Amino acid sequence: MNELIPYLLTVVFVSFVINLVIALYGIFARPTLVKKIIALTIFSDSLNSLAIFVGYRVVSRGVPAPPVVVNYTNPQGPAQLARVAVDPLPQALVLTAIVIGLAVTLFMVKVTMQVHRVYGTTSVRKLEHIEHGNKEVKEEGVVE
Amino acid sequence: MRVTDLVVAASIVALALLLSYAMFLGGIGPVPVRSELRTLALNYILLTYNPAKIVYSALAPEGVTAIVWDYRGLDTYFETAVMFLAIISVVALTHGCKVKVGLGKGGMSLIVKTTTRILMPLIVLAGISITMHGWLTPGGGFQGGATIAVATVLALVTYSIDTLAKHGIRKRVLLAMRSTGLIGIALTAVALLIVGLVVGANAYIFQNQERVGSPLAFPAYFSGTPTGGSLLFYNLFEAFAVSAGLSLAIIVTSLREEEVKETLRGEGVE
Repeated sequence: MNELIPYLLTVVFVSFVINLVIALYGIFARPTLVKKIIALTIFSDSLNSLAIFVGYRVVSRGVPAPPVVVNYTNPQGPAQLARVAVDPLPQALVLTAIVIGLAVTLFMVKVTMQVHRVYGTTSVRKLEHIEHGNKEVKEEGVVE
Repeated sequence: MRVTDLVVAASIVALALLLSYAMFLGGIGPVPVRSELRTLALNYILLTYNPAKIVYSALAPEGVTAIVWDYRGLDTYFETAVMFLAIISVVALTHGCKVKVGLGKGGMSLIVKTTTRILMPLIVLAGISITMHGWLTPGGGFQGGATIAVATVLALVTYSIDTLAKHGIRKRVLLAMRSTGLIGIALTAVALLIVGLVVGANAYIFQNQERVGSPLAFPAYFSGTPTGGSLLFYNLFEAFAVSAGLSLAIIVTSLREEEVKETLRGEGVE
């Protein structure tokens, strides 16, 4: 059991990294803006989970607790909590990152919608062949 | 093309291996298989509710909210500013668009509408509860505000955008609510400074409890329960601002084709 927990945690750790790299592939290699946005959200979610994971700890007795002083009337409450609590700092950073990420994702979605409305496509490979002032995508001029 | 694919695949695998190896060796600090807290985290946990060392304490039992709005309050303030910059950008992209009444069929069926009508107050109530316990239990303004915004999304999908506009959830109202929340946060940040100017005492920006060289403090208890001092006001205003801001961004994003195309044509895209 004592060897199993570090092994499983390492598996989780490496899977986060693999997730990050697959998301990076999606951002760089997929031509469609929509898929780029999806890959970017996967990237940020993996990174947030990784940050939370860095704040996790294995406690010797009991289970890890959230950083909330439950019995705050007791002067020994914070010291008791410090034996089992996880790191609160990554949680505080991820908390704001998620809400900002939602707003920024909405902005990217909106821009992509406008691009589709104006040019009729969201593929960056087609978009770079559209001449300035020419709104229509020329079917024969598109190089895939 | 096949060679390119091979190169891409090989580089991805190499990147994954390198990243995980570097992180495993300690690239982002110690790997979480450890039994002790970092010194910084230990300090936060020991000081977040500590009436004996009130000069370093936030007097809020919940460590995350204490970090977000007290220890690192200025960070959070500018993060909030980034978020509202994104929302304002979304709104600016559809500047001049007006919601047209009678475009769609008026939403989903009666069953879905009734369920939504029952569910929506409960979602809002849960959001308020998360907000108002932010300094006692896990939660706070960001989470509560995002939960309240879910109710708007639900109404938007089930009913329609013109039903929302008919009931007063309009762009201008939401913008005003969002600005009120942001002004409230800014005022809470400088409230003790203003009090200090009037009384003639020292004070700091984002001050919560009394600090070294400043005796001023927000009230830390309300009928025996800790309020976290300024954390109460920050959470309240943040929930206000986040719920209105996210609702606004989602409503503007789901403007219909007919409403947006006119503006695009009118502003001369070509």
